[in-house]
Amino acid sequence: MLRIAVILSLVATCATGVHAQRPDSTARRDSTARADSVARADSIALVRELERAQGAATPPAAPTQPSQGGPTNPRLLPDISVIGDVVGDFTPDESTQESGRRVDIREVELALGAAVDPYFRADVILGLSDVEGIAIEESYITATALPGGLQGRLGRFHMPVGKQNTTHRGELQTVEYPYVIQRFLGEEAAKGTGLWLSQIFSPLGFYQELQVTAVDHFGEDEEGLVTLRPANRSLGGMGFSGRFRNYVDLSQSTNIEVSGSAATGRLAQPIVCGGVASCDGFEGAPATVARQSVVGADVTLRWRPLQQGLYRSFILQAEVMRQLNERSPALPVVSGTTVAYAGPARDFDGAYVFARYQLGRRRYVGARLDWVKDPLNGGQSFKAASGYLQLFPTEFSKFVVAYERAMPSAGAKKLNRILFQSTFALGPHRPHPF
Amino acid sequence: MLRRTLAALVTLGAGALAVTAPAFAALAHPIAVPKLKVVTSTTDLDDIARAVGGDRVSSVHISEGYQDPHFVEAKPSFILQLRRADVFAFVGLDLEIGWMSLLVDGSRNPKVRPGGSGYLDVSRAIPVIDVARGNVDRSQGDVHPLGNPHYWLDPENGKRIAALFRDKFSELDPAGAPTYARNAQAFVARLDAAARGWAPQLAQIKGKPAVAWHTSWKYFAEYTGMNIVGFMEPKPGVPPSPAHLAGLVQTMKRTGAKVIVMEPFYDRKMADFVASKTSARVLILPPSVGGAKGVGDYIALMRYDIAQLANTLQLATAQR
Repeated sequence: MLRIAVILSLVATCATGVHAQRPDSTARRDSTARADSVARADSIALVRELERAQGAATPPAAPTQPSQGGPTNPRLLPDISVIGDVVGDFTPDESTQESGRRVDIREVELALGAAVDPYFRADVILGLSDVEGIAIEESYITATALPGGLQGRLGRFHMPVGKQNTTHRGELQTVEYPYVIQRFLGEEAAKGTGLWLSQIFSPLGFYQELQVTAVDHFGEDEEGLVTLRPANRSLGGMGFSGRFRNYVDLSQSTNIEVSGSAATGRLAQPIVCGGVASCDGFEGAPATVARQSVVGADVTLRWRPLQQGLYRSFILQAEVMRQLNERSPALPVVSGTTVAYAGPARDFDGAYVFARYQLGRRRYVGARLDWVKDPLNGGQSFKAASGYLQLFPTEFSKFVVAYERAMPSAGAKKLNRILFQSTFALGPHRPHPF
Repeated sequence: MLRRTLAALVTLGAGALAVTAPAFAALAHPIAVPKLKVVTSTTDLDDIARAVGGDRVSSVHISEGYQDPHFVEAKPSFILQLRRADVFAFVGLDLEIGWMSLLVDGSRNPKVRPGGSGYLDVSRAIPVIDVARGNVDRSQGDVHPLGNPHYWLDPENGKRIAALFRDKFSELDPAGAPTYARNAQAFVARLDAAARGWAPQLAQIKGKPAVAWHTSWKYFAEYTGMNIVGFMEPKPGVPPSPAHLAGLVQTMKRTGAKVIVMEPFYDRKMADFVASKTSARVLILPPSVGGAKGVGDYIALMRYDIAQLANTLQLATAQR
């Protein structure tokens, strides 16, 4: 009987909530809080009397305080956040932005995320822009309890190819992706819809991670190209990627990541019939599917002294990539004419180096060098050098001023770009991957 | 035929090795009491966990005592620590909101995920102050809507943390319950003894006006009786502006505040400026274990901070 009374008292005490709160210091003298304290003391005294009676070694419960409002999210709402990305282009000759505008809301990202159930978490990120309307930037469920330490995602995601491809454009350290990523993976990075698996290793004592994906297709087909059959008609036409990360702490303040990536898939590439870009049986610009792969390596060196970390940091990052193109893909048969392949018939290389130094609590200075054998220009060499000044009033707002000198192939006009960017974040946005 | 024979031999050998390896390993390494693997977000929680856990627990921490715990980089090496943890104890109240989820998700360890047996939000044992009321948004700075998370700087909360660890470790390791209870009791006894030692210094501090850099010193102020008359930050997490500093100088002159208390990871230039205008002293206090030389455990941290504050207030008063 005594035991039942004790258990009921303990239940009554514990039912006041897991997230214990109590009134702030000015309200502690409240008589209700005093009454609760007395009730709690009685419960604890009851437990101690039982312990003495039974000679048990049960430790008294850690004192909990009366809850001041119950759970913080009783409606089980997802975390909702918004990132706004405004870009200004003050390039003297004309705006180089896709919209052609001098100042534009490049994109607004709306993100929702929450636990679905004990086994999955879901994240949905929608991109809104005047140019593209509403698009699903990312939308995936993450399995949090797979056996063997595996982690899996199903849905749409930025493909883990290289280092910067998985960063959303508004959260880049620079205003735009490096040119090698724009040319080889897409102006807005490469995304895929499918399965993503990750496994962590540490046989050598440091962090290693293997990420593999199988997605509907790799890359974006050039607009207007039409193939007789979809690129992913066979399973071999789907997109696949792998990334092997190696991360080492060189010291408390310095660390390095060296990784390799590869991705492959089939893309629509143009063909010509009898020397012209139109063929019977094609309702649009005719194309065939050809395999395209991207292999690359990246290195990121970070320095942030722990005690001065609010004021000083440095990052040096470089990526090198090679785009491999199928030389002689299978061509469709079109009666009465010869069909010739007009897509890329060579491989292309590209790289960038980026560095950023923190000048003070809110100020950063950075620079980037780009070089790529441009597939859009017959493999002609394209170089660019850019400098950045960043101001973070807080971690939730950012202003960037950038100057870029773009140097297309020999003989082409050099371009001086002046860019401005402002981003802001509302709500509890998930931290950025390291 | 030869190939099949070789394959069979290799398979048999591998199988024999797999079966006997644990036995050989046991011979090489005598059976030891399995330890609870604890990872904590801060050095203070780590020290109290070690005090309560004793040799039944192995504990590591993520942030360092001289580092701002709000801005810890979610390095992949921390994921490796969490991967094998039985308990992840964190301060809570959104102190770790900027980095914790990356590590917890990346660890793939169900024990340390929300709802897991080892997911330990230490704030649930604490009477929290500064719980936000009314509308809360970031125009108020880097607010913690659930309350002020810097609660470990009140030794009374240190006792509550010890009791929580005692209960959690006992839940996961019932055979060690008597040990955890004994260790927790010993920790509280040492803390009480230390408190008797610094009681005279508390009397010197009580009621004295001071300025703090961040709201992190409010629990410390409640315990010591220090009267915080202003903050270097105009709002939490917002660096001081010239206009704010000018107002703070006036406040210090009006109230007679002669000490500016700040953590080692803030830039003291602005505090030095204010001190020069008010004849005050800048006192850099470690907010966590390991934040200064000689501050190797929780009791040493409290003893050091209280002694330094009392001495500095005394010197500042004598200077008048």
